[in-house]
Amino acid sequence: MQLYISEKNLKALLDRLIADGMRVVAPRMDAGTPLYGPLTDSAGIVLDQLPRRSAKEAFFPLCEDIMSYEKQGRKVSLTDIDPAGFPETVLVGVRPCDAAAIPVLDAVFSWDYKDEFFLERRRKTTIVGLACTKADDACFCTAVGLSPANPKGSDLFLTPLEGGGYACETFTEKGEALVNANRELFAEPNGSTALPLAEPQTERFDLKKVKAWLDGHFEDPAWDSIAVRCVGCGACAFLCPACHCFDIVDEGTEKAGKRRKNWDACGFWKFTHHASGHNPRDLQPKRYRNRIMHKFKYYDDKFGQTLCSGCGRCIRFCPVGIDIAAIVSEISKK
Amino acid sequence: MHDNPIDTSIYAAVTEAIQGEARRILSEGHVAAVVGYAAARRKGSAQPVVVTRADDAGKLIFSAACVNNLAVYLTKARKEIPKSGKIGIVVKGCDLKALVGLMGESQLKREELYLIGVPCAGVLASTIQPDTALTAGTIAPKCRECDAHLPTGCDFVPARQPVTPELEKHYSAEIARLEAMTPAERWAYWKGQFKKCIKCYACRQVCPFCFCEQCLCDRNKPQMVETTPRPAGNFAWHIVRAMHLAGRCAGCAECERVCPMDIPLNLLNRKMAKELKELYDYEAGFEVREKGPLATYDEKDDQSFIK
Amino acid sequence: MHPEKTKHAFEPKIIAFVCTWCTYAGADLAGTSRMQYPANVRVLKFPCTGRIDPVFILKAFQQGADGVLVSGCHPGDCHYIAGNFHARRRFAAFRKLLEFVGVDLGRLQFSWVSAAEGGKWVEMVTGLTERVRLMGPMQEFKELALEEQWSGAINTPELQEAYNSI
Repeated sequence: MQLYISEKNLKALLDRLIADGMRVVAPRMDAGTPLYGPLTDSAGIVLDQLPRRSAKEAFFPLCEDIMSYEKQGRKVSLTDIDPAGFPETVLVGVRPCDAAAIPVLDAVFSWDYKDEFFLERRRKTTIVGLACTKADDACFCTAVGLSPANPKGSDLFLTPLEGGGYACETFTEKGEALVNANRELFAEPNGSTALPLAEPQTERFDLKKVKAWLDGHFEDPAWDSIAVRCVGCGACAFLCPACHCFDIVDEGTEKAGKRRKNWDACGFWKFTHHASGHNPRDLQPKRYRNRIMHKFKYYDDKFGQTLCSGCGRCIRFCPVGIDIAAIVSEISKK
Repeated sequence: MHDNPIDTSIYAAVTEAIQGEARRILSEGHVAAVVGYAAARRKGSAQPVVVTRADDAGKLIFSAACVNNLAVYLTKARKEIPKSGKIGIVVKGCDLKALVGLMGESQLKREELYLIGVPCAGVLASTIQPDTALTAGTIAPKCRECDAHLPTGCDFVPARQPVTPELEKHYSAEIARLEAMTPAERWAYWKGQFKKCIKCYACRQVCPFCFCEQCLCDRNKPQMVETTPRPAGNFAWHIVRAMHLAGRCAGCAECERVCPMDIPLNLLNRKMAKELKELYDYEAGFEVREKGPLATYDEKDDQSFIK
Repeated sequence: MHPEKTKHAFEPKIIAFVCTWCTYAGADLAGTSRMQYPANVRVLKFPCTGRIDPVFILKAFQQGADGVLVSGCHPGDCHYIAGNFHARRRFAAFRKLLEFVGVDLGRLQFSWVSAAEGGKWVEMVTGLTERVRLMGPMQEFKELALEEQWSGAINTPELQEAYNSI
């Protein structure tokens, strides 16, 4: 279904959804930083910059409770978190790189173990994607086979038009349901041309070649020179739309507490630290190698997909300027 | 006013001098490696590099995008850089203060270092694209109140004089603004900032003074600081971090630069530095001192707050 | 015979971190001398004020304390010669930090109470308890402990109830 929606009507749609009790999550300014979060009204929406954290947090929160425990005398009572309580959500203004990573995450969260926390949020969320009209030199979605107008992962996709408003296309039943319930806010396409799309400057990676090199080079001196500068923080993994490692921690006292699921990152020394004190990834290059291997080899081996959508956040915010696009491009030339 | 350009024309000559000196000390065998900056893929960008061969000395650069404090690579926490033999390091004045602090804390020995000082007019703020020109608007906040444009006590400093215009001070103004607030307003301000924290620990990992082999905040028996990135755990982490750096931090502002959530972490560090200066007349980073203000005492210290 | 006890709407929780040599002995003296002081105070004994990490104070507030008292030997009386001198500097800095992040310093009291000063101990505890009672509960850290990131927040009433009971 192809339609048109004006900027005014898009805001009216969001306000209506909020008034109906729907949770509308969109990029907005949070203490000076653009981040996804629930809107209280459409005025707060910020659509002109890529949010600092990716849209994965709408399905895979950076911290969530999965259980609580309480001890009274000798009796221990456990309370499970029931995912049925998660709110119906519309996720608006998701850039193609963020949206495209979500179906990639579906694969791992519904593999041998079905992660009900992720899947229930996924079921209850409608994703409204938005094409990009500007890119910087850290953007590289085109290099991994996506594009600034790729609707992968979006239920409904908006493309900004010359003279204002958006071309709107539905891709799933969820997207159609959202449009049909608010049909009067949408109009037939008015024939305006789309604004020129962003043009990320990176050349396309030969992902097959990259994988072929990775297959045979678990041990390679290149890893040392690539990652010698890595300081071992989790910024890349935490900002990444596709990284999905988590850590389960129990927090509280012996009387009561909660079991929580937090984001984790393979850059941390603690990530593979054994209880014995042994650490198979004892130095940073081994940890950084895992990041590249997981994205361009292991995930491909298991699910036939690349775990990177080229948003460029890890490049922009790496404290020491590690550039995954440069690294992968170099590997593809080996 | 904000577009006022800052003269960085000396950086080309500085780059050349760094390359020449690195080539010399590597080829003459004075050092095993030189830690410096090299150009990276993005236009105008730079990243840390370890050069071990004289032939590679040409990779070294200095520009307004050379923001890192390389001192972090010399600490015991970074096992990746070989520590055998003397190490050369490119340092700005602000980075040098961290090295001075590390020497005071017996983490480094002066005789094991070859310091290549950089006359610096300032570097870019963290949110600015690396190819942007340096202006009064794009300069890093720490450079606005820099008192170390020319590093002292180095083994080599290119003979150039940076032009350094007087800029409006950032941290002192922010501290004054916060101090004028009520406790409730300050609480609300920091709560809003800390809430964004994702516990990526970039602030800790880039800090030259966070060299503990195992951070208190990574321990869970006993767990002093919650590891979850919830508002409560975030608040505790940032208070602990600021307290552990009090009297040690010399203001390289790496924590604030790398924070992907834009939390003004150096504001806490500067506030603590200001208080310790007022209380004990101590400033970090100017001379190698064995003990910082919180590792020593004076019998006549102020105790007006103790009943 | 116990004196009449006044009922208050709010009984603050006060945590006292004390050194074993002076203040703990002082508190003991207050007890053996049958001096009355508010039962709001929970005493935690340390070898020395030098052992009291600022993190303990933070943790006390986080776990529900409405006020914190830190007390040890007078300067020059430290059993370990200089533990309290170090502590004095550390706490001078820490209270400035807490103030800067918005904690009302009225809830945090430092004192020197010697083994002979049972009366001063009573005075300290009573003073802090009454002051904190007037200030009301320490809401900031309690509210913070309940706050979640938006993405992980759960909004079913049953769960909220289950949580509130913890």
